Amino acid sequence: MSKGLHRFTVFVTGATLFLIVAGALVTSHDAGLAVPDWPLSFGKVMPEMVGNVFWEHGHRMVATSVGILVIILNLWLWRREKRVWVRRLGLVALAGVCAQGLLGGLTVYLWTPVAVSTAHATLAQLFFCTMVSLSVFTAPGWSEPRAALAEKGSPPLRYLCLAAAAAILVQLILGGVLRHSAEWDEYLPAGLVMTHVTGAVVVALLLVSSIFITHRRHAGETYLTRPAQIAGALLALQLCLGVAAYVTRLWSPSAPQPRNPMVGITVAHVACGALVFASTIVLALRAFRVLRDEVAESVPDYVSLGAAPNWRTEN
Amino acid sequence: MLKKRARLWLAICVMASLAALGACGGKGGDDTAGDGGGDKGTSGTKYAPTGNEGSIAGKINLTGDAPAPQPIDMAQDANCKTNNPNPVTETVVAKDGKLANVFVYIKEGTTADGKKIADFSFDTPSSEVVLDQKGCHYIPHVLGMQPNQKLKVTNSDPTGHNIHALPKSGGGNEEWNESQPNGAGPITKTFKRSEILVPIKCNQHPWMKAYIGVVKHPFYAVTKEDGSYEIKGVPAGTYTVIAWHEKGSEKTAQVTVPAKGAATSDFTFDAAAMAFGPQSDSLQVMPAIEFPMLGRH
Repeated sequence: MSKGLHRFTVFVTGATLFLIVAGALVTSHDAGLAVPDWPLSFGKVMPEMVGNVFWEHGHRMVATSVGILVIILNLWLWRREKRVWVRRLGLVALAGVCAQGLLGGLTVYLWTPVAVSTAHATLAQLFFCTMVSLSVFTAPGWSEPRAALAEKGSPPLRYLCLAAAAAILVQLILGGVLRHSAEWDEYLPAGLVMTHVTGAVVVALLLVSSIFITHRRHAGETYLTRPAQIAGALLALQLCLGVAAYVTRLWSPSAPQPRNPMVGITVAHVACGALVFASTIVLALRAFRVLRDEVAESVPDYVSLGAAPNWRTEN
Repeated sequence: MLKKRARLWLAICVMASLAALGACGGKGGDDTAGDGGGDKGTSGTKYAPTGNEGSIAGKINLTGDAPAPQPIDMAQDANCKTNNPNPVTETVVAKDGKLANVFVYIKEGTTADGKKIADFSFDTPSSEVVLDQKGCHYIPHVLGMQPNQKLKVTNSDPTGHNIHALPKSGGGNEEWNESQPNGAGPITKTFKRSEILVPIKCNQHPWMKAYIGVVKHPFYAVTKEDGSYEIKGVPAGTYTVIAWHEKGSEKTAQVTVPAKGAATSDFTFDAAAMAFGPQSDSLQVMPAIEFPMLGRH
């Protein structure tokens, strides 16, 4: 297992989070159409970075950089990574970032219709999810021999974590629809706001349940409790940011331009949502790594031998 | 693979998440033209002046304290300040209790000889309507034109702009979005159908806004700085006159224009109603609470 490869994967994952932030800044500044052409900007590789062109072209530059990093990551994976399924996941990430680029171009050509913009935001989160998973799988700790743990109750924790992750993904989609449903100087539609709030309640219930059950059933297992604690802290922060984002947005219709407090808090809300998603994915993956319905006295740790968790064994 | 109970739990959890989509609402305040869009202005009996036309004139009053113009931070494009060193908003332009940039037009009505104004067709003016970009503002802020009349957009700034017209979806006018660099020639566009009012914005400078009233006939005006307006050449008759302001307010009056005479119709807007602008079906949480630090850019 290459520590350098893992560190680079984490670096690319961090760059992906930065790209999500850059994209959120484009939306909050209403800069999505500041550059009318794609893939060039005003027919140039590097236009004058004034006005909202700074945000839009800046986002494109970060996206290009992330694309290059993902290519380098894939080359490294194919040279050093022995697990075929991990290499394939790297290709999934590469396909994801390429698809994101094309979707981004489509938002420009179609003048940011809600469906395309939301798809662009959703795919960004899925791509981030893939990068987080790669970071987990390339970690040295993933392949270390680890004793299996019994589920100890119902519902099975690993499926509850998976459900929480799925709920977060749906909530991210709802957030994307809400963000793109109104101009920056318009009030957000009440129906969509209530839907997003309802989604937050569902996410909170599922994630808090997951965190609670993790600590109750596996209190001494820091391999599980640590990501659960991080997810819990981020969830609390995210709920506060959500309220703050809504309150600051109320003043937007009477503001002459997108205000820094509204922009900053809303972008933080988007970034924190991605981090909640990431921490829940880590918890879910680790839960599938170590938890079993029943634990026999001696169970070969196939994962430490290079297999994917609970999936077919491959070399 | 997943056991049966696990599949059931997973399905319940996912469905609970998806149930949140049940209250999904659409984009707020987005009108769809169920009536098939505005009038092209070319159908019906061709209008010909009879020589008995009159006029409608008046003033737009504003009661209460007008919201103060807010300073605009143009730091993200230093070129904007070349032509506009102290930029402020022009959302509510009021002076001595009079309101500027109000679009006044005849919505419907009947002439003295019993014909509906909507049944007439009107020649498309050969003159162009000019919308300039100077000091990173649209000049004028509100203007009127007729369907198929040419709109000429010019850029007088030492920086590039992006002109994005956002007509109502399904209203018959097409959305367009064009970039106009510094020194570029004028952009000429038309709107095919009447629409009250088409918002224009710049995607590079988010504070830039203009509104274009596209009316099938020439009976419209935009109030000046002193709040006054005059609509000339109106055939004698009785009409519904609308005064529209961008902060969501619309006032209506019934006006009778005598033959070769002048009718007067004043309108009054309330400044307090303009403070929060047009309300969609949104939730508001304690709007009266002041958060001074949120007002600073």
